[in-house]
Amino acid sequence: MKRRAHSLPSDQAEINVSPLIDMVFILLIFFIVATSFVNEVGITPKYKDSASPTTENKPPLTFRLSASGQILQNGSVIGIEEVAPIVRTSHSDSKASILVQVSPGSKAGLATEVMDQALLGGAKAIKLSPLLQ
Amino acid sequence: MRLYGRSKSLDDEQDGSINVSPLIDVVFILLIFFIVSATFVSLPGVEVVRPDAQTADSLKRNSILFALSAEDKIFHGGEEVQLPEIPRLIELGSKDRNKPVVIQTDQWADATLLAKIIAEARKIAPSVSIATRKPR
Repeated sequence: MKRRAHSLPSDQAEINVSPLIDMVFILLIFFIVATSFVNEVGITPKYKDSASPTTENKPPLTFRLSASGQILQNGSVIGIEEVAPIVRTSHSDSKASILVQVSPGSKAGLATEVMDQALLGGAKAIKLSPLLQ
Repeated sequence: MRLYGRSKSLDDEQDGSINVSPLIDVVFILLIFFIVSATFVSLPGVEVVRPDAQTADSLKRNSILFALSAEDKIFHGGEEVQLPEIPRLIELGSKDRNKPVVIQTDQWADATLLAKIIAEARKIAPSVSIATRKPR
């Protein structure tokens, strides 16, 4: 066996793969460490800045968040659970874009929940706009 | 008998080494998997209390992250940034690939600042999302 291997050098001559394995292992460890499996969940309130004709004709359905954490719609205070039914029963034109006006001091959590509820009610696009006062 | 056994073990060490080809195959497959799945997301570097949402669905992994802390500070890539810098940072981060933007906002942050961040990000990003908790 051994003698035959010696007589045929092409059989025995092997490339030394140890440096290759070393390098591949280093690359592997680098990519394992560098890979960050960020898996975020969230809402995407799509809003096109180019105002469509339907939104020009009709003022969009507006929710206003006061600094004290109240949600106002058409001048009256509503609860967070009423947002989705209001959006659902509203006209389909105003469903296309919903305006959420936030006063200084109102909380981002509440604004996100209002947008979430509006999306639940079938809103297509929601704009979040700050009130300057 | 003993002599024969020894000579065989010697023969094994000299001639028949461990076959490493399957090992290399597996390692290469792992390497390719990690190269492909590597997205290199730079985390904002601050932990926030995300707001609740019912309609939340999973966002794209390959996005640019901003964080808005409860102290109304904006973070990106491990350091605090200012509001006017956001479009430039998105441009730097997306490298002409139109990456979406994800904003991790604290639920006690100021909503007007969140609105301003979204407005700034919309100038350049194809879509802007708000990270929330996983819906129950």
